[in-house]
Amino acid sequence: MIVVRDVYKRYQTDHGPGPWVLKGIDLVIPPRTNVGLIGRNGAGKSTLLHLIGGIDQPTRGHIERLCRVSWPMGRGGGLQNTLTGRQNARFVCRIHGHENDMADRIEEIREFAALGRMFDEPVKTYSAGMKSRLQFALSLAFDFDVYISDEVTAAGDAAFRNKAQKAFRRLIDRAGLIMVSHGEETLKQFCTAGILLHEGRAQWFDDIEDALAAYKESLQA
Amino acid sequence: MPAPLSRSPLTITLAVWKALLLREALSRLFGRRAAWFWLLLEPVFHVAYLMVIFAVIRVRHVGGIATPLWLMVGLLAYFMFQRASRQAMNAVGSNQALFVYRQVLPVDTVLVRAGLEGAVMVVVTMLMLAGGALFGLRVVPADPLLVLGALAGMWLLGLGLGLCSSVVAELSPEGGRLLLMLMRPLYMLSGVVFPIAMVPQPYRDWLALNPLVHGLDAVRLGFAPYYHEIPGLDLGYLYEWAMVLVLLGLMLQVALARRMVMQ
Repeated sequence: MIVVRDVYKRYQTDHGPGPWVLKGIDLVIPPRTNVGLIGRNGAGKSTLLHLIGGIDQPTRGHIERLCRVSWPMGRGGGLQNTLTGRQNARFVCRIHGHENDMADRIEEIREFAALGRMFDEPVKTYSAGMKSRLQFALSLAFDFDVYISDEVTAAGDAAFRNKAQKAFRRLIDRAGLIMVSHGEETLKQFCTAGILLHEGRAQWFDDIEDALAAYKESLQA
Repeated sequence: MPAPLSRSPLTITLAVWKALLLREALSRLFGRRAAWFWLLLEPVFHVAYLMVIFAVIRVRHVGGIATPLWLMVGLLAYFMFQRASRQAMNAVGSNQALFVYRQVLPVDTVLVRAGLEGAVMVVVTMLMLAGGALFGLRVVPADPLLVLGALAGMWLLGLGLGLCSSVVAELSPEGGRLLLMLMRPLYMLSGVVFPIAMVPQPYRDWLALNPLVHGLDAVRLGFAPYYHEIPGLDLGYLYEWAMVLVLLGLMLQVALARRMVMQ
């Protein structure tokens, strides 16, 4: 379960404090729920994901993570360019406390990413598709209670995408998911509930269809 | 195999340090072709060309000790400070990609980099001293504890400066550039290439305000007890500076960690 209590967030800009991005978000995300986070560009979707993922702190209010939450996946982060795929995988294993069963996990990651011998080449030589395959394989290798994903499913070529979607499906059957996506189909496919971010406030919907309908309405207004 | 549900903060930090140390060591030693070789070659060349200059102007002894030893030891001590601070300063910027993992904090990268650089410099120092011994220099310190204490002080000062400057450089690139510019004269003002003890008063006392001067001369004194060090040599003064900078740096890191990660 994740509790978000009265969270306000604004960023520092070069000209002092910026405008409020989030203005009093109150949410309780129950365990094993798949939630889609929707809103127009700049509504604060990624900001909220970062806050839930713990890589940023709210300006006011607080967030409790009462379970194991993944890092925000997707958007090219989390890979060191000068290191090889394998070295990156080792790094992530180590910081998550998997020193003991590292070999198994590395093998799992190598197999899923299917990069061949490029797995032992520096990440800076990878194509965009290869990078996201590695990222996706990394995110599958650890057991979290809640996965947070920033447009992560659209990775690689058709064959890989197929495999990735199946794996993603299996994953969210046993764990919770909070995802940002602009693809309506993706949201309907993976999420049951929805959160609509509009003008710095959040609205919870038990059904993703209702959330999407409200979103479309907010666009016309 | 379920992951440990909750690890203690200390366990997490230690795991992060280990992972970062291995990651940093890989790029420092093998990041570019024969990167480890250049780590050693740079100070060797630096000492070598200074030695050529001193040979041309026929200075055989400085402050009572042989010029090559005086130069080498002083330069190694200076590098201990300069490399640690320089590497630490860039730590946050070069690891930006890794802050997606909430376990990794900016201060971790700075501490690990400074630590690694200190270890690298210990190895470089040993190798250069061994090389000096082959050329007949008396490289065994008379007072090893003083040498170690002074080198540790230089490293600590580098760490303190690195902790502070990494925050400045990350939050304001102009500030970082300015800081680098201000640091450049330190090389001249620390007594690496000329003996501070020979500067007339009152300028000598002014130069002695620089804590690096004390560290450098303490290392030389540790190697040769008959060395004419600057009057009023005080290793404690170096440590005071170092502790203040380390504390200030840690405070800045704690206060501004969030802003360094999110930009």
